[in-house]
Amino acid sequence: MTILKTTWHHIRRSPFQSMVAIIAMIACFFAISFYAIISDGLSTVIKYFETKPEVTIFLKDGLDTNAIQTIQKDLASYPNVKETKYISKEKALSIYKEQNKDNPMLTEMVTASILPASFEIIVSDPKVLEQIYQNYSSKTNIVDEVIYQKDVIKSLLEWTEIIKRIGISIALIIGSISFLTVFTIIGMKVTNRKEEIRISRLLGASAFYVKKPFLLEGMIYGVTGALVGSLLSFIIITILRSKINSFFDPIIFITNKPSFYLLVLSSEILLGLILGFVASWIGARRYIKF
Amino acid sequence: MRIKFDQVNKDYGSISALKDFTLDVEPGEFIFIVGHSGAGKSTILKLILNQINPSSGEVMIDDIYLNNGKKEEIDHIRKKIGVIFQDYQLITDKTVEENIGICLDIVEFPKDQILSKIDDVIKKVDLQDRRNLFPAQLSGGELQRAALARALAVEPRIILADEPTGNLDMDNSWNLIKLLKDINENEKTTIIMTTHDMSIIDSLNKRVIKLENGEMMEDKKEIKTEKKAKKNISSKKE
Repeated sequence: MTILKTTWHHIRRSPFQSMVAIIAMIACFFAISFYAIISDGLSTVIKYFETKPEVTIFLKDGLDTNAIQTIQKDLASYPNVKETKYISKEKALSIYKEQNKDNPMLTEMVTASILPASFEIIVSDPKVLEQIYQNYSSKTNIVDEVIYQKDVIKSLLEWTEIIKRIGISIALIIGSISFLTVFTIIGMKVTNRKEEIRISRLLGASAFYVKKPFLLEGMIYGVTGALVGSLLSFIIITILRSKINSFFDPIIFITNKPSFYLLVLSSEILLGLILGFVASWIGARRYIKF
Repeated sequence: MRIKFDQVNKDYGSISALKDFTLDVEPGEFIFIVGHSGAGKSTILKLILNQINPSSGEVMIDDIYLNNGKKEEIDHIRKKIGVIFQDYQLITDKTVEENIGICLDIVEFPKDQILSKIDDVIKKVDLQDRRNLFPAQLSGGELQRAALARALAVEPRIILADEPTGNLDMDNSWNLIKLLKDINENEKTTIIMTTHDMSIIDSLNKRVIKLENGEMMEDKKEIKTEKKAKKNISSKKE
C-alpha cells in the first residue's frame, strides 16, 4: 500500500511530467494498434486472394482424357500447389450462365462448344505462379491461353511489404521516443527526489526499495498508454469500419471479432508494462547512485 | 550491537576531521561525545551510519567491517540504527506521520501495527496535534521531536543523536534526555549522543568522549553510581 501511495504522490507532485510520459505512451500504442489492425486487414486480403484460382490455363479444344490427366498430374507436382481444379466445357457453360443469369440475351446464344475447358490452380506460395505461367505459356499445342493475375498479386505483395516496413519503422520510432521520454522523466523525478532517496537510504532502505515507486510509475505510464492508445484507435477504427470494408468489399478488411481486439489490447498492455518497467529501471539506475 | 573504531582517520581535502581515532563501544552503553564545532563529533556518527567512509582505519559494527561491507549488510545495520540528525533530515513533502510511517515501512515493521506504533511514538514526543503537519510548518523544537519520534519508532539497537537538544527549550531537553536514558536502561539500546551542553553531561553519570580538532582528548568512563544521575535529572526538571 505504501509503495502505491508513494507512487501516486510522485505522479501528483509533478503532473505535467507525468502527462507528457503518458501522452508519449498513448501515441506509441495508438500507432501500434493501428498497425496491428491494418496488418490483420492485409493478411485477410492476401488470404482472400490465396483462396481464389490464381492461374487459369485455358486448354485447346479436342484434348482427350489422357492428355487432360497428364496435365493435371504435372500441375499437382509443382511445390506449394494447393488445388488443381478441372473445369470442363459443360461446367464452364454452367458457370457462365450463373454469372449472367440476369441477362438472358447473353446466355441464349452461348453453347458449351464455344467455351474452352480450363484448369484453375490454387497455390499457397504465390512465387510458384510465375513458374507455372512461364511453363504453360510456351505449350501452345495444348494451351490456348494462360491467365495469371500477376500484377495484382505482385503489387499486393509489394504493398504488404512496404506497409509492414513503414508500420514497423513508425512503431519503432514512436516506441523509442516514448521509451526515452519515460526514461528522461523518471530521471528528472529521481533528481527532484534525491534528498528523499538519500534520507531513505540512511534509514536502511535498500536500493530496490527506493527504486520501487519509480518502477511502478513507469509501469503505470506504460499500461495507461497502452490502454488509452489502443482504445482510442479501436474507437476510430469502429467509426471508419463500414466505409473501409465497403471499399474492400467482399473482403472484410477491418475485422469485428472481439477476440482479435482483446488479443491486441492484452498484448499491448503487456508490452506497455515491459516498456515502462525497462525505461524506468534504466532511468532510476542511472540516477540513483547512492 | 558492538561498535569499534580502529585507528580511524577521516580527511576532507587538506582538513583532518578525525585523527587516529580508536573507540570500543559495548552493547547498551550510553556515550556522550563532546567538543567544539568542527571537532569531529558528527563525523563519528556519519562513519557509524556509513554515510561516509574513513580515509584509513576500520569501523566495525558487530563483526561487519563497514568500509568493505556488502550493501545488504549496511542496509541491515542501518535498519537497526535510529538517527536524530542535527538538521532533522525529515522528508519535506511528507507529514510527521508519513515520515515515521516510511521509516517503519523500510524496517519492515508489521503492517497492522504501524498505525499504533506511530500513535505511540507521537505521544511519547508530545506531537499529537502536529502529526498531520509538514516539516515546514513545524518549529525547530517540534522538528527535533519529530526526528526523535522517527528514530524511536523503529525500536533501534543503536541511537545516534547529533545535538538533539540544540533546538529544544530546557523542559523539552530534559524530557528528551530522560527518554533516551530510560530507553538505554530498559531496552539496553546503545546511545551515542553529541552535545555542547555540559549541564546535561554533568547531570548524567555516563561515559564521555572529548574531542578536539579530530583527536580524542579524554575518554571518561561511567562511574556506576546511578542514583546520583537520577537525582540530577529530577532536580534539573524541577
